[in-house]
Amino acid sequence: MNIVGVAACTSGIAHTYIAKEKLMKAGKALGHNIHIETQGTIGTENKLTANDISAADVVIIAADIKINGTERFTGKRIVEVPTSVVIKSPKGLINKIQVELGLT
Amino acid sequence: MDIAGVREIFNERLIDLDMKSVNKREAIEELTDSLYKEGHIIDCKAFVDDVYLRENEGQTGIGNHIAIPHGKSDAVKITSIAFGRTKNDLAWESPDDEPVHVVILFAVRNVDKTTVHLKLLSQVAMALADDATLDKLLKTNDKTEIIRLLSQEMN
Repeated sequence: MNIVGVAACTSGIAHTYIAKEKLMKAGKALGHNIHIETQGTIGTENKLTANDISAADVVIIAADIKINGTERFTGKRIVEVPTSVVIKSPKGLINKIQVELGLT
Repeated sequence: MDIAGVREIFNERLIDLDMKSVNKREAIEELTDSLYKEGHIIDCKAFVDDVYLRENEGQTGIGNHIAIPHGKSDAVKITSIAFGRTKNDLAWESPDDEPVHVVILFAVRNVDKTTVHLKLLSQVAMALADDATLDKLLKTNDKTEIIRLLSQEMN
């Protein structure tokens, strides 16, 4: 799958980055292409490109707050989860999404 | 990130491998005290109150017996982290409902002139996404290795 996503947490200090890194590691380990943008206290990093988004089969929003720029994902399949779900079981989440989207 | 980078926000004096705390509040206070002694915090009570504001917004346990409480506070003079480990089972809200043995307390200035320190904290957080790193943090008695693990040099 081609996955893009955004991670953001309440204080934008720690969980945002743990969630991003867990999704990246899990996605790569499972053989997917994955790009994750972080929206934290230091601002937006690893900003998704229009090409990333256009090629994506799914958008994972791992956030505990409202994120910026959701209009970029209009027409895309979006999965929204709190950061805790990603931190607990990143591979489980990606596998479940893959099954639900029938992209096996 | 190189190890010199993480040393801007962290050092061996901010690592306690034998905390006496028996619960979450004591652990947060014990680590706050070490930050105070280093001159990184100017008011322990105000800082702990701000850490609890964040605690009330959602769990800071990240599983694997590790928790990352954090406070953004006017009481913080220098953005930094303190690391504590204890044999005691600390009850802590965590995704796997397991007791916590390692507490990594993030102290963040309310207003930082630059984002350098926040960037370092985000990199420490990313190091915590690795299960092998978490296992080592629970076991190693080498404080320099802990600093190295949190600066991702081993990964």
